[in-house]
Amino acid sequence: MILTVDLASEVPIYQQLRDRIVEAIADGVLTEGSSLPTTRALAADFGINFHTVNKAYDLLRQQGLIRLNRKTGAVVTATVADPPFRTEWTARARTLLAEAVARGLSADEILETCRSVLDSFDTTQPEDTP
Amino acid sequence: MTVAIALSAGLSALVLVLALMVPAISSPSVPFGVRVPAQHTHDRAVKRQIRVYRWRMVVSGIVAGGVGVALYGVTGVTLLLPVTVLVLVGAWYGCFFLANHEIRAVKAAEGWYEGLRQVVAVDTDLRTDPPRFPWLWLAPALIVTVATVVVGVISYPLMPETLAVHYTAAGTPNRLAAKSVGAAFSPVFVQIGVTALLVGIAAAIFLRSRPDIDPAHPASSARWHRRYMVLGAKALLGLAAMIDAGMLGSSLLMWTGTVTAWAPLVVVLPIMAAVVVAIVVLARNNRERDAGEADTGLTHRDDDKYWRGGMFYVNREDHALMVPRRYGLGWTLNFGNPVTAMLLAGVVALLGLVITLRFGG
Repeated sequence: MILTVDLASEVPIYQQLRDRIVEAIADGVLTEGSSLPTTRALAADFGINFHTVNKAYDLLRQQGLIRLNRKTGAVVTATVADPPFRTEWTARARTLLAEAVARGLSADEILETCRSVLDSFDTTQPEDTP
Repeated sequence: MTVAIALSAGLSALVLVLALMVPAISSPSVPFGVRVPAQHTHDRAVKRQIRVYRWRMVVSGIVAGGVGVALYGVTGVTLLLPVTVLVLVGAWYGCFFLANHEIRAVKAAEGWYEGLRQVVAVDTDLRTDPPRFPWLWLAPALIVTVATVVVGVISYPLMPETLAVHYTAAGTPNRLAAKSVGAAFSPVFVQIGVTALLVGIAAAIFLRSRPDIDPAHPASSARWHRRYMVLGAKALLGLAAMIDAGMLGSSLLMWTGTVTAWAPLVVVLPIMAAVVVAIVVLARNNRERDAGEADTGLTHRDDDKYWRGGMFYVNREDHALMVPRRYGLGWTLNFGNPVTAMLLAGVVALLGLVITLRFGG
């Protein structure tokens, strides 16, 4: 899996890492049981502090996307969306869609973009329907 | 004498060919060790510098050859001939630095990186599913070393009472030692040391190096890096085997008391052959082939500030011990890593010890 991080971006690096890993799960590049590098190895490859990687992994663990184990390291887990997640995610999607509407994108255009993004994810993923 | 002249000339030719070749085999994204964005890899300034550099290198080659001939003509000392090689290497760095400097100046003046999204790309598979270390390639070195020990042990009672432990460049022994296990088996210690050192470097490439993934085409870049790592390790292990073979040859000469003018060739030829093969193999694979991967539109971040003098990588925040060279073949040490300082101190201490033992005793 290729991860890219923009060191000069306004988005914090841990957030970028977390986002890229979530996208890799949706893409099917990472599946249940896939292991991630150790925090130190990943930090060394990026040339960033390992606490930053720790923070990203911790976020993913809290969201139930990975399991952290002293022996096996970070491993991707299967997860089922619970009701609190649905509510929280809908709120975030609302903001994102509102941005598009506020900037004058048509509803058709927005829906089309949503559809093509969803289609770009691997279809074998069980949780790809919101 | 003729052997020394031939060896110096051969080595100079090798250096010159390599110097002329490097611009063609280096990644186009780092011409002369300057990071340039994809749209400037074929910039007029870059092309011009490659041309100018090649001319300077050819002139340097002629000058270095002239210096060699003049030195030998005036002094008649063959020991001075390697000086030509050093002069050539010095000139090579000079030519490289001028080109590096010019391209950097144009890059800064024209603002090549302005408005580009600079990212760092990492291939996690390299850590979760690393390539296998080519252990099998260690077998030849081990077999040659063990063979040397076996032959040495069997023939020890038959060896002459005084052993030649050091030769002049012309192949005549200039230091003798009474027969002892330490004197007779000194080539074996060299074999063990060299094999351990080269295995150590190969292991460091696998365990403590960091790839330099091009975010514009990360998948082919990562694939190439894996391949290059394995090739690099195989080249080092092959080199170890050939150095060990050279030491086996020199021990056979020592143990049988043979004195010939071609004695240096027994050691130097296998090593030179291995070096040439390693260089050719690495040079042919020194940059990723265009695998037709779609451009992601991302740009590698400008990391020139970590490359002092264009060639020495100094980055304290980078935990990697070795990084791929930007200009030339293989890897280079991260001089900002404390482990590098310790390693260099160790090498200096070891050299000091060897010199003291050689000349003090």
